[in-house]
Amino acid sequence: MMYAFLLGMMMFAYSMVITRRVTALIRSFRLQSLFLALVTFSFAYKAANLEIYIVSVLLVMIKVLGIPYYLRRLMEKINIDESLGLFMNPLLSLVAALLFTFVSSLFAIIVLRNQDPLICISLIIAMVTMFIGFFIMVFRAKAITQIVGLLTMENGIFLLAAAITDGMPFFVEIAIFFDVFVCVIITGIFLYRINRLFTHIDVNRLTQLRG
Amino acid sequence: MLLVCLIAFPFLAACFSLVLRNKRLLALINVFLYAAMLALGMGLAYTICVKQPVVVFERLLRADALSVFFVLLITWVSLWALVYSKGYLEHTEEGELSARKKSLYYFFFHIFVFSMLVATLVDNLGHLWVAIEMTTLASTFLVGFYNNKTSVEAAWKYLIICSVGITIALLGTVLLYYNVVLHAGIRSLNWSDIVSVAAQLDHRLLVVAFLFVFVGYGTKAGLVPMHTWLPDAHSQAMTPISALLSGVLLKTSIYAILRFVIIVDKSLEVNFAFTVMLYAGIFSIAVASLFMLAQKDIKRLLAYSSIENVGIIVFGFGIGTPLAILGALFHCFNHACAKSLLFFSAGNIVKKYKTHNMNLIQGVLEVMPFTGVVVLIGMFAIIGMPPFAIFASKITILVAALAQKYFLLTALFLLSMAIVFAGLLLHLGRVVFGNKPKTIEPSQDALSVKIVFIILSLYLVLFGLGLLPQAQVLLNKATDIIRGV
Repeated sequence: MMYAFLLGMMMFAYSMVITRRVTALIRSFRLQSLFLALVTFSFAYKAANLEIYIVSVLLVMIKVLGIPYYLRRLMEKINIDESLGLFMNPLLSLVAALLFTFVSSLFAIIVLRNQDPLICISLIIAMVTMFIGFFIMVFRAKAITQIVGLLTMENGIFLLAAAITDGMPFFVEIAIFFDVFVCVIITGIFLYRINRLFTHIDVNRLTQLRG
Repeated sequence: MLLVCLIAFPFLAACFSLVLRNKRLLALINVFLYAAMLALGMGLAYTICVKQPVVVFERLLRADALSVFFVLLITWVSLWALVYSKGYLEHTEEGELSARKKSLYYFFFHIFVFSMLVATLVDNLGHLWVAIEMTTLASTFLVGFYNNKTSVEAAWKYLIICSVGITIALLGTVLLYYNVVLHAGIRSLNWSDIVSVAAQLDHRLLVVAFLFVFVGYGTKAGLVPMHTWLPDAHSQAMTPISALLSGVLLKTSIYAILRFVIIVDKSLEVNFAFTVMLYAGIFSIAVASLFMLAQKDIKRLLAYSSIENVGIIVFGFGIGTPLAILGALFHCFNHACAKSLLFFSAGNIVKKYKTHNMNLIQGVLEVMPFTGVVVLIGMFAIIGMPPFAIFASKITILVAALAQKYFLLTALFLLSMAIVFAGLLLHLGRVVFGNKPKTIEPSQDALSVKIVFIILSLYLVLFGLGLLPQAQVLLNKATDIIRGV
């Protein structure tokens, strides 16, 4: 079962790479977070650990419901066109994503050596998710993709934390959640400001400061 | 008790700045609280030098000589930034601010200082991460405070690049935690626990974790090539905040790196962590010095100088001998003072000339004699002329590098210093001397601004002559902690 959930995370990481529209990107992110919550939940079940149960509930509340809703609202409010502004077409992006998968697998095998296969797979998917998050931050023009990319990177770390360490110390985890939440709000505010001042949210056209 | 007060005071100040409407009372309370924080920091330093590290709340907070050194740095610089803010907010570059904006400014200022203090005083590496991320979030508003195109662009880059960096640092922290759980068998992210079991950690995993952490916090510290946000953010932020960003925030990230360096150094037989720092440092110095030659914007010039100085500090730590580490710590403090001095005077100049472009700023000595002299002092201090304190710290690092036979690196270091010297002299020399534009009338600086200038200059001169014995003790203790003795 756990492997199915992990596969779900991986699939929606790929779908983030090939999508061309903002709403689809946010939807993929939401589904990936849902699978992350499911993975975390099953880890909690396995370890019978109340703290990880709470973490998975928080994941559902914040990353599956709260943040995607907030981002949707934001997009409606600033009323910008749907396209993401791709610097690299979906096919090439997919090739890049496959490359990331290969590199992550190599990394996981070298670093972990003979560990439990579940942990090894988790590390691979966590790394792929982080790579893909970073990739869409760099190769998509819209500022909103940078927020989603950052959140995707964090999804990768949450998976890693849940899988290999049975969750970080509880208080740390809560603090990180709070931080993610505040970070999204603030980036949202600045996104709004950028749109008002520049009348667009294309990051590649933010070129006032150079040198 | 000292520790709790130290953290509570900026938080209190933040609450006051939202609630209190009486401006004079508020200013008075603020300055009082920050002076008290500085005193508390000194008290803490004294306690630690005499006794053991201070621990409260079941090790939620922990202060040893290294953290207290950074606490002193933060409280010292933020006190003067606060005093300077008062005069600065009366007429900013963008004209008079509304009362609401002012109280918001102070709110974020205090939260910013609060999060930096928390970062240096927590024991748990996860909390350290949260505190460092908090500093980004709090200061983003202060970078984008003027809400015009350039400042919002700078704030966006700052927020996004630093958040990515810090996410990578979190990955490193998680990997370290995994390593600790798996190989040392304790479920703890407390630094003091991890250090005591460092020898049992898996080396390969530790090296990977350290590299992630180094890249992550290195982004926040402004190391080349992750520095791209820094010139934008430091040049667009409000002036007192530029000083805090350059003087203190960069060092807080270095502090975070140091905590990990100590763990790695304890665990590995080879000097891996120090070597990474050594080359990252020299690379930053060399690249930043070249960029400084080509600058037109006065605050960007100072921002690049900060990158260069962070490079010097990291290089100093990278050498790894007691002498070099002492020099690097001392340089942290000296650079913070000299750079605050320069940013404050640059802020005055920009306010007067209404431009950042150094081609349009000339004859400051004629227009604002006091500020002009201060710019000269700051310039000679930052390029490491005797008798200023930076000379002492730079020469310490150089001697240590030579003693370790890093001849090639030292040559590169000196070459970069020569380029920096030329760059700053060329740019700032023209700003200070030169003929004043006809449209600008000479003026005087506010009293509070003058006091700040005089105190910081005095520090630079006095500590250039020699360290106080108490400071020496603290620095030695901090050095011992970094070397893991």
